[in-house]
Amino acid sequence: MAKVVLDAGALDRVGNTPLIKLDSLSNDKVQYFAKLESHNPFGSVKDRAAYWMIKDAEEKGKLKKNHTIIIEPTSGNTGIALTGIASLLGYEVEIVIPEKASEETKKIIAKLGAKLYETSDDLCPKVGAGTDQSIALATSIASSRPDKYYSPNQYANEANFLGHYKGTGPEIWKQTEGKVTHFFTGVGTGGTVTGISTFLKEQNPKLKTIGVQPQQNHLIQGLRNFEESAKPDLFIRREKSVDDWITINNETAFAAVKELFQKESLMVSPSSATVYAAMKKYPIQEGIVVGIFADDGRKFKSLYAQQKVFTEEEFDANLKQAKHLSKIVYLD
Amino acid sequence: MTNRPLENMSATTKVLDARGLFCPEPVFRTKIEVERMQVGETLTVLADDPNAEEDVSRWVKRNGHELLSLEKKDSALEFQIKKVK
Ligand SMILES: Cc1ncc(COP(=O)(O)O)c(C=O)c1O
Repeated sequence: MAKVVLDAGALDRVGNTPLIKLDSLSNDKVQYFAKLESHNPFGSVKDRAAYWMIKDAEEKGKLKKNHTIIIEPTSGNTGIALTGIASLLGYEVEIVIPEKASEETKKIIAKLGAKLYETSDDLCPKVGAGTDQSIALATSIASSRPDKYYSPNQYANEANFLGHYKGTGPEIWKQTEGKVTHFFTGVGTGGTVTGISTFLKEQNPKLKTIGVQPQQNHLIQGLRNFEESAKPDLFIRREKSVDDWITINNETAFAAVKELFQKESLMVSPSSATVYAAMKKYPIQEGIVVGIFADDGRKFKSLYAQQKVFTEEEFDANLKQAKHLSKIVYLD
Repeated sequence: MTNRPLENMSATTKVLDARGLFCPEPVFRTKIEVERMQVGETLTVLADDPNAEEDVSRWVKRNGHELLSLEKKDSALEFQIKKVK
């Protein structure tokens, strides 16, 4: 597979994503908006974390150009974002991924030039399944060669928080002219929710942050349900920045994928649809509500066909009509 | 194996030196090497993380291969693994 040639200008396009109004939810008293993180150069909110973590490591002298290899265990958007951004900055990337991760994601990561290690659950059963195997292997590879490898570890890295505290949070404040009253997002590492919420509450202590979680045993890539998965260190540090939680099941989330296309002409990811469903369900009398749409639907053709959301033909036809589709580097 | 000429033997025995690597990397590299081999070939694995003893032995058995021998030499472990299927 040919490696894509990246344009260094992509780095300047991290952040400053659009905020669009959701007419299907808004009324006289409450206005709803979506922050479209798919407009980052590599297509998701994770570009921010990847960019800030690498820049932070550079400033702290942890990286040497054309020498250091950046290694990270991940099953999705962080792998894509780190590979794209680190390659542009002159670092090799190795991604450790569960072999069960989606083929679409693995292909994109390989196309962007990372070396992929695929882990299976029979390697070292005592550490757990899935990403836990990937975390163990990445840790072992990095720890036996500390001069060569650097692992950002997004689950504990403060720069992941800072990217949102200094970037996404102020963007939302400005885009709503300081009028935002409620903020909704899904949670993976917790960087997005804690970073944005901490900033917005400093501006307006009355702001309410609602964390959105998928059901247990969910199909929503990128999000965690904290009854079945551990809370990451990064999240625990500022757990109190979340005022309330709402849980959305798979069925409601996939119905919202359809609804968003029908009513808003948006082709969204399962996680964005989960946030939309939460905004719709949560009672709000008055205010300005912002939700994070972390990526768009383009990686989910096979999942949507399998879940009977859209057939492959419908998916292709919908993409042609969809609004607000961004330019994504690896899709050129 | 024993009745094969020596030169033939060395052509089919690969060595994986996993000394200095921490678990689960030795078992991960073993898996990759075994996947690349032909049935009947053998692989020698050297490792010095004590956890490798359990990880590598268990992986070999669970995946239906044969652990021909396991020796401890100068604080390193030496596995002889035969690819069976
Ligand atoms: C697909 C996806 N990835 C990641 C995130 C957020 O992740 P984190 O909590 O790691 O910042 C979200 C949150 O909305 C998401 O939808």
